[in-house]
Amino acid sequence: MHNFQQIQQQAREEAQGLSDVKALGAYRLKYLGKKGIVAEIFASLSAAVPQDKAAIGKAANDLRALVTQWIEEKSKGLAPAGSPLAGQDAGIDPSLPGTAAVLGRPHLLTQTIDEIIDVFEKLGFASIETPEIETEFHNFTGLNIALDHPSRDAFDTFYLDQDDPGAKGRRLLLRSHTSPGQIRIMKEHKPPLAVIVPGRVYRPDAVDASHSLMFHQVEGFLVDRKVQFSDLKGLLMEFCKRFFGSSLKMRFRPHFFPFTEPSAEVDISAETLGIGKKKWLEILGCGMINPKVFEAVGYPSGKYTGFAFGLGVERMAMLKYGINDIRLFYQNDVRFLRQF
Amino acid sequence: MKLSLNWLKDYIDPKLSTEKLMDRLVMAGWDVESRQTLGSDTVLEVEITPNRPDCLSVLGLAREIGAITGKKIKYPKIKNYKPTSNTIPINIEDKKDCSRHIGTLIREATVADSPAWLQERVNAVSLRPINNAVDVTNFVLMETGQPLHVFDYDKIVGGKIVVRRAKAGEKITTIDGVERALDASILVIADAQKPVAIAGIMGGKDTEVTFSTKNILLESAHFDMTLMRRASRRLGLRSDSSYRFERNVDWPGVLVGANRATDLLLEPTKGHCTARTDAAYAPKGSFKPIKITVDEIENLLGLKVTLADLKRIFTSLDFQVSLKGPSLMVLAPSFRGDVKQSVDLIEEVARTIGFDRIPTSLPQIRAQNLIMDPRPAQIKKIIRETLMAGGVDEVVTLSMTNAKDLAKCRQENLKAVRVFNPLTVDQQLMRPSLLPSLLSIVAGNFNHGQKNLCLFEIAKRYFHEGEKTTLAVLLTGSRYQDWRLSRKEQMEFFDLKGALKNVLDALGVDVSFQASQESFLDEACRSALKLNGQALGAAGKLDRSVLKNWDIKHQDIYFAEIDLETLFVLPQKRRPFKPLPEFPAVVRDVSVSVKKDVAYGSIEDVCRCHGGDILCDVQFIERYAGDKITPGSKGLVFSLIYQSPKRTLREEEVYRTHQTILQALNTKLGATLR
Repeated sequence: MHNFQQIQQQAREEAQGLSDVKALGAYRLKYLGKKGIVAEIFASLSAAVPQDKAAIGKAANDLRALVTQWIEEKSKGLAPAGSPLAGQDAGIDPSLPGTAAVLGRPHLLTQTIDEIIDVFEKLGFASIETPEIETEFHNFTGLNIALDHPSRDAFDTFYLDQDDPGAKGRRLLLRSHTSPGQIRIMKEHKPPLAVIVPGRVYRPDAVDASHSLMFHQVEGFLVDRKVQFSDLKGLLMEFCKRFFGSSLKMRFRPHFFPFTEPSAEVDISAETLGIGKKKWLEILGCGMINPKVFEAVGYPSGKYTGFAFGLGVERMAMLKYGINDIRLFYQNDVRFLRQF
Repeated sequence: MKLSLNWLKDYIDPKLSTEKLMDRLVMAGWDVESRQTLGSDTVLEVEITPNRPDCLSVLGLAREIGAITGKKIKYPKIKNYKPTSNTIPINIEDKKDCSRHIGTLIREATVADSPAWLQERVNAVSLRPINNAVDVTNFVLMETGQPLHVFDYDKIVGGKIVVRRAKAGEKITTIDGVERALDASILVIADAQKPVAIAGIMGGKDTEVTFSTKNILLESAHFDMTLMRRASRRLGLRSDSSYRFERNVDWPGVLVGANRATDLLLEPTKGHCTARTDAAYAPKGSFKPIKITVDEIENLLGLKVTLADLKRIFTSLDFQVSLKGPSLMVLAPSFRGDVKQSVDLIEEVARTIGFDRIPTSLPQIRAQNLIMDPRPAQIKKIIRETLMAGGVDEVVTLSMTNAKDLAKCRQENLKAVRVFNPLTVDQQLMRPSLLPSLLSIVAGNFNHGQKNLCLFEIAKRYFHEGEKTTLAVLLTGSRYQDWRLSRKEQMEFFDLKGALKNVLDALGVDVSFQASQESFLDEACRSALKLNGQALGAAGKLDRSVLKNWDIKHQDIYFAEIDLETLFVLPQKRRPFKPLPEFPAVVRDVSVSVKKDVAYGSIEDVCRCHGGDILCDVQFIERYAGDKITPGSKGLVFSLIYQSPKRTLREEEVYRTHQTILQALNTKLGATLR
């Protein structure tokens, strides 16, 4: 019995290769002629076992139909043999759109996180994800945020209707920042550590153009002997220039975070970002890790220093692309998604 | 905190333009949020971080400006009023709640409008002038940071003050005219009968000082910060006083505030200070000097400093400094409760010198001892890349959902983790399924006329036992469009299966598609995904009832959800190289008719089972129904590919095996050749 698939495949390939009218004639003869391949298959019917006959007949008919169709298609575009246009489709309109499988797009937030991770990985950091459902210890206490202190205000938190199995009478919570990743990783590992922790965070803020109850942060920290504030400045400057462009101007200004001392906020100049205005835009918080944090994770006193920083992914993306409403990220209008 | 520059100049002249001053403040950690012109005055809105309650006052900020500009401060001259033998009875029930309460009695006062200068100051910080007694308390609060209160002493029953917790059922009408219910979590100032003020938060209406008041009782006190914070939250009531008490006020400052206010009250009201009582319980554990060395500072900051720099900086911030060998011993003032360890001192140095003066360097990042599993990140990356190559767009949706939306998805039986303090009822559950989030995205896009959607999300689902990273894929509408094709084809189950198959093949996992019981999927078009018998997820067409619940018409939706945690922990298999075949393959097409309920998969299984070692693949070609097929049956066409890695197959051995397979298909599945 013939291998019909193979024959059909070959016929298709040959049809595609036809470049002039003369070749087309030969092709027609080879397949559809009196002694052509189709005729030969029909001839083999008489010798075939009865249960094969139907399949052979169908195959021959199919092949005839296909070859006829291909010849018809081909003959429209072919020039006479030897003409200068031979081998070209003379009749196409090249201004018609090309066709290709449509590609899906990564969400802008994932793109931004990947870009941030990429810069830090090249600088030697490892990216690690930690849970979103956290304990008060990881989210607050370990980070030197006293449970009943005004500094908790900035970290207003969603609690869950579920108790922390490790702390009696305390609820589990949705992390209000990615900093608990520091505590988790430092509890498990000794320095040197250079880690970034990307992920979702939650705060009970009423939703508007610049607030969302869920957003994304990337936490980063470096712990070793002799890490200095100047290293923090240098690293973040390098990051911001790679992310926003090398002409970027930025400044570090003192701030307060319970888990770092000294603490700083970093502003970038709107002008150098190309947004025009003579204005400083806050983009991240950072500082030298407070010794109280090292104490909480059980590191020996005075042995290590380190720095930590936390950046808001939505904010970075909004500044970079001039997006004016944070809600666009979560509405997932495909007209938004496909712009990036 | 509002800072009037005219007021500031009463104590210090920074000799800087407003712009320069604002810039210096910002660079020293005092972010200026706005600036406002008020007649000849300029008022800055300065953000005070919660660790620095001492700067919730004009004098506090003047001290900071003195440190950063090197200019001297002129403090106001304040008389010291000593406790008198003639006392006001003050009874503090628990000194933990109230560690100091200074009462000053001013008799024969004339309460009237405040003098112009005082009204101007009060106006500058956006307070309303009331009278010459109340305005003084507000002035001193803003000047020194010490909250104060004045009572009409003649309205204090029994002339005595009790600092106690409120009793259940007690009520008070505060000066804003609102009646407030009190309880034992709230500290009050009471007279012999009833509460006359909510301690630290707001005074009572009945005892407020009015133009008819003759005798004034001035209160300057120290209340427990935690207690104040809780009471203020409980009552939903905040005031300039409570804001400062919550952040802690300076214990010695209670007396400074009392003295300054007494001074300022006596003059315009022409009263006499007739009694002063200071009920004081000094805090235990006074401040200890902190040791610091130049090396320590240089090592942490990467900035060169000299001993002289340090002395100058600390002294300008009212710290006491002494030399002890190569170290400095630095004692913070009482109002700097935030300074507890040497890094706090280093921060003062860095801040005062300016972060912009600290050099930059790139850290040396040493090899890490982190043992982390790279698999989850790799798997997520492969999935994203494969799906996007197949035309599926990524979405990011909110992690919360609600019972109503789950029910609309027929997933009300899923046990979800509840949010204890949700913002709205729409967000009271942590989602146990990605379906509600994706359907709301679909609804939004449909509203904007976007009907052809291929979406996926990789995100967590939340359960009481933990978080599970999950992949969800949703397809609806027509397949990607090629203008050369006349017919627009709608996506169907096999588009979804193909997308999933691409992903699973890319991950190298062999997943079987089996019968499913998921009620949110159409029972005629659903499948359970199993990996070695373990449930991995489900895929199928959403049930009509679900679409109806979401008000989706005229369009089918295909959805799949796959648990990725199972894939994260799979042992990683390397697929070994298979040598390319040296000998030709023999391909035999087979066209059979079988009963409708026979799955194609079982045909493949039978073929492989009887194909011996020469059947190397089975490839599906097409499925057809039509008039040539008897009702209740279906036609299937597929190729059997025979090939051996060792030799060229002989015609008769292929024939023999092929016949065995056809026979088995017939006896086991009732398949007849067509």
